[in-house]
Amino acid sequence: MRNLLKIACWEFKSRIRAQSFFFNTFVSPIIFTALIALPVFLFQYQPQIQTKLIGVIDLSGENLTSDLQDELNRYFHTDSRSPLYQILNVSPVNVTNYQNSLKELQEIEARRDSISALYNQIKSQRTFLYTNSQSANRDRQLVQSYEKMQLVREERELIEIELQRFKTVLDSVYKREAVKMADTLLISDNLDAYLVFNLDFARTGNVQYHSKNPGDFLEIERFERVLQGIITRHRILNDEIEPSKLRNWFRPIQIKKFQILQEGQKEWNFYIQLYGPLIAVFLLFMAVFSSSGYLFSSILQEKSNKVIEVLLSYASSAQIMGGKILGLGFLGLVQIFIWISITALIVKSGLFTNQEIDYLTLTNAFFFILYFCLGFLFYGAIFITFGSLSTNEYDTQQISQVLRMVAIFPALLSLMVLSDPESMLIRVLSYIPFLSPSFMIMRIPLSGALNKLDIILTIAIMVLSIIIVIIIAGKIFRTATLMQGKKVSISEVWRWLKHN
Amino acid sequence: MDKNLLEIKNLTKRFYDSLVVNDLSFKIKGGETFGLLGPNGAGKTTTMRMIMNIILPDEGEILFNGIDRQKTKGLHFGYLPEERGLYPRAKVLDMLVYFGTLNNLSHRKAEVEAIRYLDRLGMIEFTDSRIDHLSKGMQQKIQFIAAFLHDPDVLILDEPFAGLDPINQVVLREILEEYRANKKILLISTHQMEQAERLCDHICLINNARVILDGKMSEIKRKFRENAYYIESDSDLSFLHEIEEISILEENKTAYKFTMIDKEIPVSTFFSRLKGRAKIRKFEIVEPSLHDIFINLIQEKSKV
Ligand SMILES: Nc1ncnc2c1ncn2[C@@H]1O[C@H](COP(=O)(O)OP(=O)(O)OP(=O)(O)O)[C@@H](O)[C@H]1O
Ligand SMILES: [Mg+2]
Repeated sequence: MRNLLKIACWEFKSRIRAQSFFFNTFVSPIIFTALIALPVFLFQYQPQIQTKLIGVIDLSGENLTSDLQDELNRYFHTDSRSPLYQILNVSPVNVTNYQNSLKELQEIEARRDSISALYNQIKSQRTFLYTNSQSANRDRQLVQSYEKMQLVREERELIEIELQRFKTVLDSVYKREAVKMADTLLISDNLDAYLVFNLDFARTGNVQYHSKNPGDFLEIERFERVLQGIITRHRILNDEIEPSKLRNWFRPIQIKKFQILQEGQKEWNFYIQLYGPLIAVFLLFMAVFSSSGYLFSSILQEKSNKVIEVLLSYASSAQIMGGKILGLGFLGLVQIFIWISITALIVKSGLFTNQEIDYLTLTNAFFFILYFCLGFLFYGAIFITFGSLSTNEYDTQQISQVLRMVAIFPALLSLMVLSDPESMLIRVLSYIPFLSPSFMIMRIPLSGALNKLDIILTIAIMVLSIIIVIIIAGKIFRTATLMQGKKVSISEVWRWLKHN
Repeated sequence: MDKNLLEIKNLTKRFYDSLVVNDLSFKIKGGETFGLLGPNGAGKTTTMRMIMNIILPDEGEILFNGIDRQKTKGLHFGYLPEERGLYPRAKVLDMLVYFGTLNNLSHRKAEVEAIRYLDRLGMIEFTDSRIDHLSKGMQQKIQFIAAFLHDPDVLILDEPFAGLDPINQVVLREILEEYRANKKILLISTHQMEQAERLCDHICLINNARVILDGKMSEIKRKFRENAYYIESDSDLSFLHEIEEISILEENKTAYKFTMIDKEIPVSTFFSRLKGRAKIRKFEIVEPSLHDIFINLIQEKSKV
C-alpha cells in the first residue's frame, strides 16, 4: 500500500509539472469553448455590426418611408442599440431629366389653370347673365358665351388629358431616374439595398428588393414581415377604422422562451442551456481522456525506456497499476477542481444571469466529479491494458482514437438529450458503460429533476464494469509489459487470462 | 546473517512454447559472489527476472532462506536490469529517492544514501541534472546506485560492467566487495570473463537453458587444470627439448609452457634435470583461464 501511494505521488508530481498538463487544463478548454461559441456568436452578431442603409423608391403614394423606418426601429438594433436599418428616400427631384419633364408638366398645369380660370370666368359671366334678366341682348350674349364655354371646356379637357398623360410619363421618368440613382448608390456601396414600391403597391402588395448580394434572406424575411404589418394597417385605415382601435389590434407581441420545471417557470437561453452541458461533457471527456491518456503514455514510456523492469522488481504489478491510476486520477481531479473554480469565478463575476446557468450547482459539480471518477477508472483500466499490450506508438494511437470516438458519441446526441433527457433511447444508452458518464453528465443538469433510479443504476453498472476491467487489466499487465518484440495475439491474451 | 541462502530448484520457463530455462537448479550462499555465465540467449536474464519476481516461473521454486520467493515480504532485493531504464526527464536525485523509498527507505535516508553513492561514483555535481542530459556511462552509474541504494540483502546485477570505464569498474568492484564482506547474496551475469574470474567465487555456466557447469571458482580451476607449468628465464631455454619427461605446449625462446608427460612424476624431477643450466626468473603452475574453459565447454556442447 505504501508503495502504491509512492508511485501515485511520483506519477502525479512528474505529470503536473509537464507542459501537457497546463495545455490540457487551460488551453484546450478555451479553444473548445471558443470553437463552440464562435459560430453562435457570428450567427447572432456578424450581420448587425453597423447600420444598414436601405433605399426606398415609393411610387405608391402610401407614404411608406416613415412607417417603415418606425417599424424597423422597433424590432432591429445594432449592438450599440442604434437602429439597424436606416431608410433613405431615393427621389430624383434634382436630376435634370426629371426637372425638365417637371417643368413641362408645370407649364401644362399652368395652361390648365389658366384655361380653368377662363372657364370659371365664363361660367360666372353666364351666371350673371342668368340672374340679370333685364340686361341688353342677353340672349345673344348667352349663346355667344355658351359657344365660348364649349370651346374652353373642350380645350380644358384636352389639356387635362395631356396633363394626365404627362403625369404618367413623369412617373415613369421619376421611376426610371430613381432606379438609376439607386443603382448607382448600390454599386458604389452607399446603399446596402433598395426597395421599389410601384403605383399599385397598395392593391397588389408587390415590392421589389434590389441588392448586390443574392443571399440576403435574413433582410428579405424581415422586410416582408414589417411591410406586411404596414400595408395591412394602411388597408384597414382606408376602410375608415378608428386609429386607436387599429393601434390596439396591432400591438406587437414578443416571444420569450421558457423551460417548464417543477418548481416553476424560468426563462432560458438556448445557447447557454445547451452549450453549458455540452461544454461540461467535453470537459469531462477531456479530463477522462487526458488523465487516462497519461496512464497510457506513462505505461508506454516505461515500457520503451525499460523503467518498467526496475519498477516491477521493486513493486508488484498491482501496486504499479493502482499507483498510476490513483496518481493520475488525482491529477484529473485537480484539473476538474481548477475548472470548477474558474466556473465559480465566472458565475460570481455576473457574466451570465443567475437563471440562465442555474444548473451550475454544487450537486451537479458533485455528479461531475463522481462521473469523472467512474469514467476515469473505467477508461484508465482499459488504457492500461492496451498500453501494456501494445508494442508501438502506432497501435496505441489507433486504440485511443477508437475509444475517444466512442466516448464523445454522446455529445453528438446532445440535441436529443436536450429535447428529452429522459427518453427511452437516451436512458438505455446511458446504461452502456462506455457512454454512461458522458450521457449522465448531460442528463443531470438538463432533466431538471434527478432521476435517482438511473443515477444509482449507472453507478452500479460503472462500478461493476470497472471491477471487471481492472481484474482483466491486472492479469494482462505483468505478462504483457515484459513481452518483447512480437505483437501479442488475441489467443495469447486469452491464455494469460485463463492461466493467471 | 550467516545462513543467507538463495535456492533455485528445478526452475523452468517457456516463452511461446520455446524452453528458455529448463530445470535449472543452483544455490547461492551469502558472502560469495555468484556468477551466472552463458552465451547469448542462454536464459540468464530470464532466470534473474524470475528471481526478482518480475516474471513467474512455469515450474520450480525459488527459496530465500527456505521461504518461497513470492511470500518473502519486506526483504530487500536490488536489481540492475540488463536493459537499463531510467526516467529520462526526471532529475537524478529525485529519481534515486523515488526508487529508494519504493524499497522502504525513508525519504531522508534515501536522500542521504543517494548523495553518498553519487559522491563515491564521482557524480555529485550531477545531483540535480536531468537524466537525459547525462552520458550513457553516467546513466549506467545512476542505475547502479538505484540498484543498491537501499542496501539490499540480495543484489542481482545483469551485465554490470557493460559500458563502464576501467576506473568505474574498479569502484564498482569495491562496492561489490563490501557486499560480499557483509555476507549478502550477490548474483551477477557477465560476458567479460576476466571480470568474472576476478570477482566470482562461484560460477554457474548455462547453455541452451541448462546448467553445464556449476561449482566454486577454485574447484573449477583445479578441475580444468592441465598440469601445465610456465617457466621464464633471461637466457635461451631451447635445451628444454632435450628433457624427456616433459611435453612442451608453447615455446617462446625464453618462456616455455609444458606438462609432465607422466602425471605421477613430481615437478622436482624437472628441476633436477635443469641442473642450473639456466637462471630461472619465473616458474608457476598455469591456471586455466575462465575464458578458455567457457569456450571449450560451449564448443564441446554444441558439437555433441
Ligand atoms: N519476454 C520474452 N518473451 C519472449 N521470449 C523471451 C522473452 N524474454 C526472453 N525470451 C527468449 O528467451 C531466451 C533467453 O533470453 P535471455 O534474455 O534470458 O538470455 P540471456 O542469457 O540473458 O542472453 P544475453 O546474454 O544475450 O543477455 C531468448 O531466446 C529470448 O528470445
Ligand atoms: Mg541477458
